[in-house]
Amino acid sequence: MSFYLLCKVLFSRKVVTSLLLLQLAMTLALLLNSVLLAQQTRQQLNQPTGLDLQNILLVQLKPTTATLRVYPALEELLNRQLSAVQAIPGVIAAAYSNQSAILQGGNNGNVYVVEQQERTNVSTVPMYFVSTDFFNVLDSQVLQGELPQYSVSLDAPGAPDVVITQSLAEKLFADVLAAGKHLNRGRVAAVISDFYGQRSGDHVMYNSVQIAPPYSVDWGYSILLRTTPAQTNAVRQQLATVLQNVESNIEIFHIRSLAEQHQRLYRNEYGLAMLLTILSALMLLVTMVSSYSSSHFHAIKRQQEIGIKRALGASKGLILLELLSENWLCTALGAMLGVVLALWLNQALAQVISIPALNWYLPMVTTAVLLLCVTVATWYPAAIATRVSPATATKAL
Amino acid sequence: MEQFIYYLKVSFKGIKRAPLPYALTIFILSVGLGVFFANATFYYQLNSDPLPHKSDKLFFPMALMAPYECNDCKPPSVLSYSNIEKLSQTDIASKAAAMYSADGYLRQSAEQAPLPVSIRITQRDFFSMFDVPILHGSIWPDNSARAEVILTKASAEKLFGRADVVGEKLLLDDRHVTVSAVLDSWQMLPRLYDANNRNHLGDADDIYLPLESGYDMNYLSNSQSQTFDDTDYRQLSTQGRSGAMHQLQYWVQLDTPAQQQAYRQFMHNLVQDEKAAGRHPSEPNNQLVAMRDIVHYFGGESSDIKAFALVTLLFLLVCLFNASHLSLNRYLSNQYEFSLRRALGASRAQLQLQMLADVLLMALFTILGALLTGYAGIKLMNQLLPSNRLFSSWDMPLLLSLLAIAFACSYLVTLYPSLRASFGSLNQQLKE
Repeated sequence: MSFYLLCKVLFSRKVVTSLLLLQLAMTLALLLNSVLLAQQTRQQLNQPTGLDLQNILLVQLKPTTATLRVYPALEELLNRQLSAVQAIPGVIAAAYSNQSAILQGGNNGNVYVVEQQERTNVSTVPMYFVSTDFFNVLDSQVLQGELPQYSVSLDAPGAPDVVITQSLAEKLFADVLAAGKHLNRGRVAAVISDFYGQRSGDHVMYNSVQIAPPYSVDWGYSILLRTTPAQTNAVRQQLATVLQNVESNIEIFHIRSLAEQHQRLYRNEYGLAMLLTILSALMLLVTMVSSYSSSHFHAIKRQQEIGIKRALGASKGLILLELLSENWLCTALGAMLGVVLALWLNQALAQVISIPALNWYLPMVTTAVLLLCVTVATWYPAAIATRVSPATATKAL
Repeated sequence: MEQFIYYLKVSFKGIKRAPLPYALTIFILSVGLGVFFANATFYYQLNSDPLPHKSDKLFFPMALMAPYECNDCKPPSVLSYSNIEKLSQTDIASKAAAMYSADGYLRQSAEQAPLPVSIRITQRDFFSMFDVPILHGSIWPDNSARAEVILTKASAEKLFGRADVVGEKLLLDDRHVTVSAVLDSWQMLPRLYDANNRNHLGDADDIYLPLESGYDMNYLSNSQSQTFDDTDYRQLSTQGRSGAMHQLQYWVQLDTPAQQQAYRQFMHNLVQDEKAAGRHPSEPNNQLVAMRDIVHYFGGESSDIKAFALVTLLFLLVCLFNASHLSLNRYLSNQYEFSLRRALGASRAQLQLQMLADVLLMALFTILGALLTGYAGIKLMNQLLPSNRLFSSWDMPLLLSLLAIAFACSYLVTLYPSLRASFGSLNQQLKE
């Protein structure tokens, strides 16, 4: 079996081979880019959030009457709701906040060091107005300073102290101690460990927190609670009833874990990666059908040739290897073409979505997958062809 | 006709003789076209022009009239109340309407459970600019504040169980309002009048409230609001009207190029005057964006659908190559039959007619398979990319184009194999 003869056989069927090569190349290109996108989505979903995603529950709600949305009725409602939620067995800590963590966007604004606005301005930093237990719910580590102990109204003279996350402190103050310094939002009381804030912010880990009742709840507000791992589901089931019992004039938009919130945030990326994966699987199926059909057709066409070879002493194994080798050669050539096409597709996709560049090892892995699929698809027709009896195949000669 | 029926019978016989290759060809074409159909549906609907007769006459003016200094910034994508007042100080535009959306609760009485509603807070020209159909009642006579709402037909039926509810009283967030009109069923897709933050993918609002009333009632935008000074956004009716609290979209209708040019000049003069007065320090950057370009301007195009469109096109190509390949094998297997017909006197034209009968049959099966696959694909895409779910319907022009594509693809995959089978040396072919 020579390489030259294999090529000759392959290119004696110019149109069929060209169609097969193009198809294999496109399959590989799509497969490669789907894997890249799936990898990227997995990385995004697995990136650290600084939060115990499974055991923190989020309730998003809003009073349905205008009177409950203004102070002091609002503050009284918030405190009643917090007391009731904290009394649920299994709740470790509960807090209200004007917005949840892990969002696309929300309430945010710029932050800078007083008198150094031009040098230090960070344009989009989430602003959280929360109750005192917020840091317990998030299980935040205090890295500098001390957490404020009391809630201060945003309408009181002088802004409440600010707690910022570590990444934001490093961005604003570099190596200098942040606690005690003054930001446009107030004095920095403490620096806490990072947690995932808003995806559309300057950095997902930049956050500023103030212990104060929210300015307004026209956009709704969040109740966040951390539970013991064993009782998360039990707590979740009771939450709606408990909150409705406290005050029936509320609308609960959703109750979900932060893990679900995180998944929803990357839902589009996940959806696209899933669609491409399904499409890649379909493409592999189509390629397998094509390879099967091509092998089957050509094995029948070459019955006489195979019979003669068998009569001249070629073993079944050798015939099988020869037929498979033709397909392997075709797949290898298609894969080479496919890598070039994958590079082009990668660049075209990068114009419309965020997709990582092609690396060196993925083409090898996907080529191996393609080879495996082609081998599985062509094995049966090749095996049938080896069963041709020399006498039957040559009797027409 | 008789001859054509004969050709169809021959085609059926051919299928019966080798059903597997035929079924595989149909399967592959159906899958390729179905996946293409599914994505093409979203692509077509998302890029459709909901007001083709006036989308080039409706404009969103934006000017960098905010109290901060920035030399190469785009103007804010939402405007302040005072910006709108200044931009309205001209009669160049045939119509103009400012707007934003907010959330509220509607009920007939304090005892009734509240109905969460999305409120479009706007001005009277909104309805004529965007061709909103009125079923009952009439639109507000002017832009002044009034405790009157306009309901959609669906909201009216949900609240009262009927559509003709003009004059009925309601509680909107505990405030008494009267229904002044009811809209007929209406859905502008994509909702281009609200393209910030990809809101153009959303559903129509449930009720409509005059802009001045929205400010008086202190409704904040549920979509996008920015404050560039110390304005307390809880004091919308007072500080919100005078401060740099941006939350409004503004549309003007400029019917002729002369009007458009005049409005550009008006914006230029206005911003220069404001800058000279020291109210806005930034370099002028005025934008007058036509409605048909607004999604692109705000960067709200559905990149996932675009990316998938590229990939499904490639997939369709692969399926076409594959189906051609299978079809070629099938025709070459039947070469002897073709050659025999030629030997018995059948002309190549008659063989091509036979091929057309094959194409018709194949197109029929393929279209059925493709529609089923396309339907399943749309359901799957709605699950995986739910933000585009309103754009998943088929309309007649789309369906006809898709059917034409399916027929063309069936023809293409059969053309080369049938030509190859009809040509070539007859002796050689009969010997094989």
